Amino acid sequence: MQTFLNAFFTGGSRGAIYALVALGLVLVWRGAGLINFAQMGQAMFSAYVASTLIAQGKNYWIAFIAALVVGAVLGAAIDILVIRPLKKKSGSAILNSPSMREAIPVIASLGILGILQALAGMIWAGDERGFPAPVSTSAISLGGKSAPFTPFDLFVIGTVFAILLATSLFLSKTSVGLAMRASALNSEVARLSGIRTRSIRTLGWVISGAVASIAGLFITPATNIAPNSLDLILIVGFAACVIGGLDSLMGSVLGGFILGFTTSFIGVYDVPEDIFIAIFAMLILVMLFRPQGIFGSKAGRRV
Amino acid sequence: MFKKMDTALRNLGVAALFFVVVLLVGKNVGPYNQSQIAVALIIFIGVLSINILTGLSGQLSLGQGALMAIGGYSCALMINNWHLSMWIAIPLSLVSAAIAGYLLGLVAARLSGPYLAGTTLLLALALPTIANRFETVFGGETGLSIDFGTPTQWLSGIVSQDSFELWQLFVALIFATVSLFLTCNLFTSRSARSWRALRDHEPAAELMGINISRTKTQIFAISSAFAGVAGALYGLRGLVGPSVFGIALSLSLLTGSILGGVRSILGAGIGAVIVVFLPDWIGKAMHPFALADQLTNYLPALLSSLLLVLTIVINPGGIASSLYALARRARGNFKK
Amino acid sequence: MLEIKELSVSYDSVQAVSGISFVAETGKITTVIGANGAGKTTLLRTISGLIAPKSGGISWNGSEIQGLRPENIVRAGIAQAPEGHAVIAELTVEENIRMGALFRLRKNRDDVRAAIAEMYELFPRLAERKNQKAGTLSGGERQMLAISRALVSRPQLLLLDEPSLGLAPLIVEQIIQTVSALCRETGLTVLLVEQNANTALEVADHGVLLALGKVVASMPAAQLRADESLRAAYLGY
Repeated sequence: MQTFLNAFFTGGSRGAIYALVALGLVLVWRGAGLINFAQMGQAMFSAYVASTLIAQGKNYWIAFIAALVVGAVLGAAIDILVIRPLKKKSGSAILNSPSMREAIPVIASLGILGILQALAGMIWAGDERGFPAPVSTSAISLGGKSAPFTPFDLFVIGTVFAILLATSLFLSKTSVGLAMRASALNSEVARLSGIRTRSIRTLGWVISGAVASIAGLFITPATNIAPNSLDLILIVGFAACVIGGLDSLMGSVLGGFILGFTTSFIGVYDVPEDIFIAIFAMLILVMLFRPQGIFGSKAGRRV
Repeated sequence: MFKKMDTALRNLGVAALFFVVVLLVGKNVGPYNQSQIAVALIIFIGVLSINILTGLSGQLSLGQGALMAIGGYSCALMINNWHLSMWIAIPLSLVSAAIAGYLLGLVAARLSGPYLAGTTLLLALALPTIANRFETVFGGETGLSIDFGTPTQWLSGIVSQDSFELWQLFVALIFATVSLFLTCNLFTSRSARSWRALRDHEPAAELMGINISRTKTQIFAISSAFAGVAGALYGLRGLVGPSVFGIALSLSLLTGSILGGVRSILGAGIGAVIVVFLPDWIGKAMHPFALADQLTNYLPALLSSLLLVLTIVINPGGIASSLYALARRARGNFKK
Repeated sequence: MLEIKELSVSYDSVQAVSGISFVAETGKITTVIGANGAGKTTLLRTISGLIAPKSGGISWNGSEIQGLRPENIVRAGIAQAPEGHAVIAELTVEENIRMGALFRLRKNRDDVRAAIAEMYELFPRLAERKNQKAGTLSGGERQMLAISRALVSRPQLLLLDEPSLGLAPLIVEQIIQTVSALCRETGLTVLLVEQNANTALEVADHGVLLALGKVVASMPAAQLRADESLRAAYLGY
């Protein structure tokens, strides 16, 4: 029972992090129509910045905010420096076919990931850096017995739920949120309505970058950070999006939790090496039998 | 009919010229560069596999390194366990990669861009854990080492017995030449035309009577066969392991393909040369500055990623497309 | 006043509109009619900024607007209800209408609220379906929604692209009459693109007949309606 509860809470806090990664991916996907493989590069970079600040003796929360800003700025930079100019190239022969118009930005995002990883390696010498948690990461003791969760687990789950709630309120209740949804769903009608879809798309990149940075900060206390340490997390986040449904924000978030529990239970009851095989199998099964994702409502995929 | 023969002959000529030129260059450089040229030839085959898949049919695979790994592991297992000659093992590992590619293609045919991209990337990233999972077979983290052997007797006239690097180059060159010839024919074949139709306008291709999912699966299998050969050769340099076929390999194949030009065979060659030799060039260029290790270690990765992104933003067609455009302009001026 | 001057547009390397000129007078309904493929929709998409023209000009109240982005064209007071009753199916009726006024929200919050209320008065059926997803509406209701989405920005010029497409005659009549009443009461300028020439010429003041991307006739609507030779040659009735 103790083992089960342990696995359950680890799964919950891990799932919360995956959910954040998935949220970041979906925000960019819905706006720009591409899976941003550079996302965890942004997160890695901002986690390094935060760890440097902490190492200099700054307060955790200052480092936290700084990481958020770095993630957001990198998001905006990617959109403005790479994705927008690429859109202007749509007349060139190679981008004439729809399949290439999809493929090329994805490759660009991988290139950006490479740039960020190399830069981080140059600046921080590829050191593995630790990063403290704002609260304790050892199990709480309740009446002499240790509880199956740590304060940090609770902190992560709590913060992630707050972020998810804030995001969904922002999208459903505010005008900017409406503009974002409209641009994602039908950018032509949105533009005809006077919405500046280009800036709105950039905003999507900004929010996504900030969200991804938080995910990066939450992973670091457990695993340390290195230039390529978050690659695997990104792939889990991607799988979460697909399993939950790329077009559905809540679906992707739930997908994140599903994968969090799956990986945690496999890690406890089976061998950790099976985790990726399991994720891969889940991914393939979902794509073959329910391509719109478990929670996707639309009849088909977007493209 | 005659036209077809003409093209085949011309392709044969191109391949023969390629063989002779690379061999001559290879014989006249030092052992280090010989082994670098061998790597470039192997990467060339790998990039061709991407240009066939992405350039001809528009499907994107970010995990071509994983298919190379399948070729590499098959080849290593066959040589180590069954003691097959590599001349048999390499073609057989081509078959096993093609089968894997076919299976992946069955899934891929149902996926569009981002889904396919993510799935193939996941495959490439998950590979090391699979190698660890079945440690007894695949040798886990360390991998499997292979003995490449020495030149076969009848070749000793061309390649001397004692130069391992030249022997490596020679073997890679044989397969690269065959791959080049086959790809040239593939690019000019009738099926390529229907693949391009598929890439450019899927509904129209369907109206033309092309079976979309079967065709996509076929292309995946063909492309994987090339990746398999590249993988087998890559492993024959001595080691097959997760570190050899890591995500970095998939990325450098993609970089080579885009830099050179994803739709062109010449582009694959240019891309492979750049990807393989860039670190050497940078090393030479930076040598006088005596930079700190942490900078020089990451400089090649930074520059190649930067080149990749810049190519995409400035000219997504790659270097080859610029060359063709220049050639066209020159010819135009000449006519005037 | 909207003035189209020698406008040419190519679309997928086909010349869709070649050198057309006409004027849409302020406060009047101008209709552009013509068969399928005459270049009508291309013309509207060029005016609203979705396509850049190859040559020629579009002048709106004295300033050149060709080549501006659609989001700025709307800000200049030109709103389009696009072809195919385009609304965003996944958003509610209310959200679709609000979307059309988002850009005015910061400066004129009260006026936006009033404008939304007016839309519900204009088309009471939309008020009943306020919180429904636009995807659940009938074709006629969607057209009403598309027009409301455009009108809520309080444009001076309304571009209507084939509002009658696929709708029952009774509903077409109702929608067209609503628009024409609005035009008379508020001085709204309307540019109505229609394949259904009869209905369009009935309410319009001025008619422009397009064929294969060129203006064949530009004259008062009544005169165009009466011209049997033009009708027979280009409209087929």
